[in-house]
Amino acid sequence: MEKLLYLITEGFKNIWRHKITSFTAIFSLFLTLVFIGLMATAGNNTHKILQYLRAKYKIEVFFKPNFANEEAVGVIHKIKKIPGVRTATLIEKEDALRIFKDQFGEDIMSLLGYNPLPVSAVVNLKRNSENPIKAGPIVKKINAMSGVEEVKYQGHLIKKIERTYYRILDKVPYIAGLIVFVSFLIIYNTIKLSVYSRKELIKSLELIGATSLFIKMPFLFEGLIIGFLSSVIAVPGILSSVGIVNYILSNFTNWGIRVSLDPTLWIWMFLISIFITVFGSYRAASSILK
Amino acid sequence: MIEFQNVSYSYNNSNGVNNLSFQIDDGEFAFLIGPTGSGKTTLMRLIYFDLLPDSGAVLTGKFSSEKMTKRKKPKARRNIGMVFQDYKLLSDRNLFDNLALPLYVLGLSSREIVDRVDEALELVGLYDKKLHLPSQMSGGEQQRSCLARAIVKEPNIILADEPTGNLDPVASFELVRLLETINEMGTTILMASHNYNLIKGRGRRILELKDGILRAA
Repeated sequence: MEKLLYLITEGFKNIWRHKITSFTAIFSLFLTLVFIGLMATAGNNTHKILQYLRAKYKIEVFFKPNFANEEAVGVIHKIKKIPGVRTATLIEKEDALRIFKDQFGEDIMSLLGYNPLPVSAVVNLKRNSENPIKAGPIVKKINAMSGVEEVKYQGHLIKKIERTYYRILDKVPYIAGLIVFVSFLIIYNTIKLSVYSRKELIKSLELIGATSLFIKMPFLFEGLIIGFLSSVIAVPGILSSVGIVNYILSNFTNWGIRVSLDPTLWIWMFLISIFITVFGSYRAASSILK
Repeated sequence: MIEFQNVSYSYNNSNGVNNLSFQIDDGEFAFLIGPTGSGKTTLMRLIYFDLLPDSGAVLTGKFSSEKMTKRKKPKARRNIGMVFQDYKLLSDRNLFDNLALPLYVLGLSSREIVDRVDEALELVGLYDKKLHLPSQMSGGEQQRSCLARAIVKEPNIILADEPTGNLDPVASFELVRLLETINEMGTTILMASHNYNLIKGRGRRILELKDGILRAA
């Protein structure tokens, strides 16, 4: 028991004795964890940008010139029942006249003596779906409805963006794996250098008859402490970064997007840092002991 | 007891030791002399199983090089105390912690550790320096610290590899006197040196190595 206590204490003491190397290891691991955490958070929130873009999916429906407002209301009810449609708003002939005046500054009624603008409707598609909305079939269905003269839909650009997004999304696991691997190598080498700087201690312990486990244990505890400290200080690092991003989004854009954090991120970060540091310490000490 | 039975060991560059056979009895104090590169350190490393012979067998206490495994090495070394020319004290901890380390390895209680460290420091005359770092001590003090670290675990054998190499004549003489005191307590001692003047006339057996071959024993 005293032996175990000694080994744990040595782990703590080693961090203090080798302040600079320990600080370097903690700092580099902190940076890596913040980077990985922000990447994961970004990946977890990109669907919100898509949802924002989907909110721009707007279908404009123009009815035949002689189509009355009352008749259009019936068609709108039918449109609302189409799966994927979020809202359908009627724009009466009078409303269309007002909008025209607002946008172009001309009173078309006084110019022509009659209102040439047809009854129309604006259809918005659902935005909360994780999957892309297939606007094509909806447009087709609306087109086939009686009284509909023309359907205008400009979602092709958004569709292109969505296609690119999913293409990137397919590669995310590989990119994330690569980032984690590179980070692992950086931290592993930092830990290795830290252990190598105590080659003298390892050799002395070997000569006085310490077992391999006895030699490695303080390094493992040290790795554990470094991993723990790094993940603890990475938490405010990530929280403040996300806070800054949210401040920018809410104060300088009208996208209505708010970045949220996945609570399991902390568990992953903690496990990754502990694994890297403990494994790194173990491997480095083992390589000296060979 | 230390016994070499036709032991040969060679490095890649062909230096080493060749067909060594000798025995050092329990409680004996023997000197190992020879010029630099004659194989003294190789012989010492063979005793504490840092090297294993290419042929022949080394017996140290109840451990044999023929049956030596990685797991057995720590056990074999616990009965051997080592003193090096370059001290090999850990620069990042004080004298007390340096001496306590082998005792933690042995799994002694904190109380026993304090008692044994104090005892060893008193024997080498460094009790009042126990909180000093190695860098705060002279060469002679560091070497005596190294000796204290070797004896603190009460080993059966002490191997001293050129322990006086970095010391002035007075400090060297004091160190040999200390080793003799420890030997009187029953510890087997093998001390390597190339300083013949220091060891002659002491009435101890002298093993002479030259080019890896034992000339006289």
